[in-house]
Amino acid sequence: MENVDSRLMTNGSGGAREVAGASELRASRSSASAPILLFEQVSKWYSSVIGVNQVTLELRGGITGLVGANGAGKSTLLRLATGQLRPDIGRVTISGVDAMDWRAKRLVGYCPDDDVFYEEMSGFQFVEAMARLCGYTAGDAKARTEAVIEQVGMAGRSDRRIRGYSKGMRQRIKLAQALLNDPTLLVLDEPMSGIDPIGRQEFVELFMSLSAAGKCLLISSHELEELEKLTDHIAIMARGRIAAVGSVMQIRDLLDNHPLAIRIDVASPREVASHLLDLPEVVGIELCDPLPDETESNGLIVRARNPRKFFCDFGRLVIEEGFDVRRVESIDDSTQAILGYLLGGRA
Amino acid sequence: MESRAAPVLLTYRPWRGTLRGPWHGVLAIARTSLYLMLRRKLFWGLYSVSAMIFFLFFYGQYLLSWLDTQVKDDPIRLGSGLVGVTLKPKDVLPVLEKVLQLDGSGYTFRNFFNFEGQMIMIILSLAGAILLGNDFRYGSLPFYLSKPLHRWHYLMGKFLTVGFFINLMTTIPALVLFAECGMIKTWDYYTDNIRLLIGILAYGAVLTVTLGLLLLATACELRRIVPMIMVWTAIFVFGRLLVDSLLFFVRVDARLRLFDLWNDMYLVGNWCLGMKLSSIRVQPQPPVWEAAAVLVGICVVCILSLNRRIQAVEVA
Repeated sequence: MENVDSRLMTNGSGGAREVAGASELRASRSSASAPILLFEQVSKWYSSVIGVNQVTLELRGGITGLVGANGAGKSTLLRLATGQLRPDIGRVTISGVDAMDWRAKRLVGYCPDDDVFYEEMSGFQFVEAMARLCGYTAGDAKARTEAVIEQVGMAGRSDRRIRGYSKGMRQRIKLAQALLNDPTLLVLDEPMSGIDPIGRQEFVELFMSLSAAGKCLLISSHELEELEKLTDHIAIMARGRIAAVGSVMQIRDLLDNHPLAIRIDVASPREVASHLLDLPEVVGIELCDPLPDETESNGLIVRARNPRKFFCDFGRLVIEEGFDVRRVESIDDSTQAILGYLLGGRA
Repeated sequence: MESRAAPVLLTYRPWRGTLRGPWHGVLAIARTSLYLMLRRKLFWGLYSVSAMIFFLFFYGQYLLSWLDTQVKDDPIRLGSGLVGVTLKPKDVLPVLEKVLQLDGSGYTFRNFFNFEGQMIMIILSLAGAILLGNDFRYGSLPFYLSKPLHRWHYLMGKFLTVGFFINLMTTIPALVLFAECGMIKTWDYYTDNIRLLIGILAYGAVLTVTLGLLLLATACELRRIVPMIMVWTAIFVFGRLLVDSLLFFVRVDARLRLFDLWNDMYLVGNWCLGMKLSSIRVQPQPPVWEAAAVLVGICVVCILSLNRRIQAVEVA
């Protein structure tokens, strides 16, 4: 997946925090085409409260998940990206055009979190009215509305008034109006909220198909499991800053100083534990009960810094000592766990 | 980076056509707003009253013209049976001519604008929250602002709707009355009263710009229907009562009337129609240019207020 400038990380106070390859990226950026979405040191205040703090972010395609606790600044970031907010400092551009400019908005589709419609309209009427706002002629607006209504699975149900729609149907209508202008950048705020499991699968497939068609999707969600189905590329926000951008594993690797918990099932746990304690990366080991399907091995929970080096040393140890290892499993590199680390347990 | 297999494209249909500019979006906003207004039954009641005022003038002019052709001493029978009434043209004519002034002159149109203006006040005070306030209050704005429009386009769309209503109830019916006058009198009426025609259009423009901007500014700030009604009542009803009372009891300077916004529009409209200041029943009155300056000032304040408000849309 051509997913983004995953190597560029941001850190407000300390300027750009970059992982390997950022310098090469900068060098190539000048020659490459403008990114679809670019935040350049963007800050936004609500009077004395800072909503977004010196965020630098660059998206070039694919699906990017945006996660963070309530009040982390996700919605502000999305509104900045869709040109609804003007940054107090910095610049937001869509394919090189200022996000506030109506030309930039032609490239953007936005599905807001709130589902505030004109309730007396039918779903079709609402989407058609939005199509006219996009600049379609009457005939094109109707045809385009029919197309997107079908895309989101509302064909045959769109003639009813919105007042009588379920939460899931409202979500579909919101998504339909976001797809109207065939956007290059699709910004979705909690799109899975209120959708039933079948609908979620349909949405996941639709998002994947849009991504495959070269669109850039920025999806804010609290449903981390859903996000993980869609993409392995996430941006984590905390206190107005983007704490990390990249794949789940890349972000985990960045947390070198935070011990990674690994479950190791072996036949002789105490012997393995004594060897592991000699490794400088290991900061703690605890014995645990065997898993229900394991009768001949016991488990160890190893907490190790610098996971990459640990796995390297552990592999060497297993070969040298001939340990009978039944299972090695990292138990906290899920998005949820990483989010918990980054947000100090507030995920 | 690990790559995920994308599913086969089944339903995605990219758009290959050309989109029009944001001014077409303005028309779309106006259309949607009109739809919202026309769906409210309460407004249809108010439109009916407005239509009745128009028909009073329309048939009044026709009646005046018809009575004028009758032998003035002979009684005529209007209607039949219990609803019939016998009138002497010489008794009715002065009422139509002097009181309602249905003679196709500037007085006719000044009165017409004045009567219809009362209805516009009521409708606009009720419409502000529906047209604009609810978008701010309930958060519908992201749907508009995420489309290829600038915030001013959004406001322009709403302004068009307000302007449409104001002109639908004032300028357009006034033009119909003007056309009717020419038909029931002589064709020379049109050529002799070009100034009146321009005056009608100008009076309509004054009402449209002033009331339109005032409605947008107050609706953006107040958002809810009850505060809107209270503020508009204070501006156009209590303000006038207060000014009249002060002028009657304290006999202060006539410039105090400049605080009566409706009176300011009336004075400017009076000038547009080519009527003398002394022809206004309520006296004394401030100079027209001062009233015009007040209206310009209010429009500027409204625009500044709107500019500030649309910059702060984000925290709505």
